[in-house]
Amino acid sequence: MSRQFAISVRNASKSYRLYGRGSQFQTLKSALLKREIRPSAEGSVDALREVTFDVNRGEAFGLIGRNGSGKSTLLKLISGIIRPTEGEVLVDGRISALIELGAGFHPEITGRENIFINGIMMGLTRREIEERFDRIVEFAGIGPFLDQPVKTYSSGMYVRLGFAVAVHVDPDILLIDEVLAVGDEEFSQKCVAKIQEMKYRGVTLLVVTHQLDLVRTLCDRALWLEKGEMAALGDPVRVVDAYLQEVAGVRARVEEAEEDEEDESGDSEEPAEEERWGSGELVLTRVALTDHQGRELVALGAGTPVAVEMDVDVREPQNDFVFGVGIFRSDGTNIYGTNTDIEGFLSRRIDGPSRVRFVIPSLDLIGGNYRVDAAVHTRNGRAFDYRRGAIRFVVGSRTHDTGVYRPAHQWEFSGAIVINPMDDIHRNVPSPIAETMQDLDAEAMRRAGEKKKKPKK
Amino acid sequence: MVAGLQQLIRSRHLIAVLTARDLKARYRGSVLGFFWSLANPLLLLGVYTFVFTVIWPRPGDTGAYPLFLFAGILPWTFFAGAVMESTTSISSNAGLVKKVLFPAEALPLVVVASHLVHFALALPILLLAVAVAALMGKVTVTWFILLAPVYMLVQTAFVAGIALAVSSASVLFRDLRDLVSNILQLGFFLTPILYPVGGEIVPEWLRGPLRLNPMTPFVVAYQSIFVFGTLPSLLDTILMILYATLALLAGFFVFDRLRDTLAEVL
Repeated sequence: MSRQFAISVRNASKSYRLYGRGSQFQTLKSALLKREIRPSAEGSVDALREVTFDVNRGEAFGLIGRNGSGKSTLLKLISGIIRPTEGEVLVDGRISALIELGAGFHPEITGRENIFINGIMMGLTRREIEERFDRIVEFAGIGPFLDQPVKTYSSGMYVRLGFAVAVHVDPDILLIDEVLAVGDEEFSQKCVAKIQEMKYRGVTLLVVTHQLDLVRTLCDRALWLEKGEMAALGDPVRVVDAYLQEVAGVRARVEEAEEDEEDESGDSEEPAEEERWGSGELVLTRVALTDHQGRELVALGAGTPVAVEMDVDVREPQNDFVFGVGIFRSDGTNIYGTNTDIEGFLSRRIDGPSRVRFVIPSLDLIGGNYRVDAAVHTRNGRAFDYRRGAIRFVVGSRTHDTGVYRPAHQWEFSGAIVINPMDDIHRNVPSPIAETMQDLDAEAMRRAGEKKKKPKK
Repeated sequence: MVAGLQQLIRSRHLIAVLTARDLKARYRGSVLGFFWSLANPLLLLGVYTFVFTVIWPRPGDTGAYPLFLFAGILPWTFFAGAVMESTTSISSNAGLVKKVLFPAEALPLVVVASHLVHFALALPILLLAVAVAALMGKVTVTWFILLAPVYMLVQTAFVAGIALAVSSASVLFRDLRDLVSNILQLGFFLTPILYPVGGEIVPEWLRGPLRLNPMTPFVVAYQSIFVFGTLPSLLDTILMILYATLALLAGFFVFDRLRDTLAEVL
């Protein structure tokens, strides 16, 4: 019987005993007699306190927190290496742990032999390893060194081989502990790509990392642990930001979403309200989608030139700031995201009210509902003002093409083929969609006009 | 213990593979490779023969003493080597226990298995020595020699039990390593390896207590079949099985109790 969760941590606590001199014999004796070791006089340290969460099947779950906050302990509890002092940890499915890559390698024997031994350690049979062998070798890229002792490998090759074996176990659940930071940039990207592929195939991922960007982009949810306790659980962008605020020692001043921001598309599949958070030194007072004449849009046709306009108010002048824009489909798929830092702008100074425009000469999207996130944050990602769903807009379309992106294109035919464009007459007859489009455009104009008339607070 | 044996069967591939790895790794890069496993006992046999027939012939010895010595030392080396190495088997593989979901009991058992392989590799030398001695009319060869694999099996169970207990306990209690090393050194002399337990050498009152040393019946059994061409006594046979069973029970008991704490304490 399959359950909804892949990992269920219920009220789990873990305390480690502190060993002092002379207490070990006592410990050994009581361990043998009582089957559990009671905290000795030296006391114990709580590594985790009453942690409860479920990771759903196929979910990518991020675990963040300072060093010593209990992340690795939690990962070991889940992998079964250690057991909780209280509470329980349930796991449903085959686990592979990327905790220490190549932990089981023996330096004196060849890569080929180590692949087999490592695979058997991870619970594969010899036959299963043979099936996967070529893929493992190819992924690790160790080619000519395959039959050399592992001690001759560079540390990069060593880690690559370890990673390759671990991901080819075909686990249901993959635990990843800070291993993506190793290796060169190219391999790091290869790892992330492989992990994304595994996520796509429905593998449940639990990622412990200090690479907060990875949590933001890869994970569906995140948990922030602080001194062994749960500090925040939920949307990764939000949890990461709360964590960064805390690290920066700044109390989050989350402002209320502006009340005049109403949702235009009623059939949106995600929460329609704008979510907003940030420390507030810089504030995005207005975020709008405009056409080339600066008129606000809520509905547009494919290929329209548009701009995302952000008006910034400055409460405390800053010299470290990044403006970012993300476009999402209504089901949450990220269509595009970028920021000024990624694109090589170096922030110098912002002293007073400013306007930032992100100009798109041709917005080549297919029909559907979309939202725009806009943010201003520091280079390390701490938000001044993050406005999720600051804009919602509809793209109308005359054709029923599919996907997320409509590249500028045309069809060309040559040779023995008879294929005609539809009659001009047909094309000129307004289709129901086109009518809707025009209505939407008109509606957008009207609303944009109304907004302008509203007195600013 | 039943659960322990089941786990053992589940991880038999792992143990086999890791043992092969250890053996390969040990001889990788050496020119003679596995020959060294043969060379060491061969050298030992040669030295004993030389010392006890040329330099210092034992009074009243028929010439079989080197063979007697050799037949006793091999099982002792298997036991002592495996137990000693098992004290560090877990702590020297801390990475595996702490970082990988890994059945820790495999580690001492791999040590036992690889020492068993060395013991088995030395057997041809012992057989050769027996054959030579038989040709010289110093010993009589009987079919009882075919019982050797049975005794090895029972002894392996005994050694495995001790290794399980010692390997896990020495993680918590580091002093155990030194304790074990000293006990083993003492044990060599308290086991009838250098002297026959049945002769006039051992005083009457000491023969009973000597049998409390669990290695005594094993060593005596090998000496009986290889050197004297007899079966070990019924008492020794029962003791062997008893000690092996007790050791396995104790080994699994101790290991089970300590299993959960291994990853924490390392």
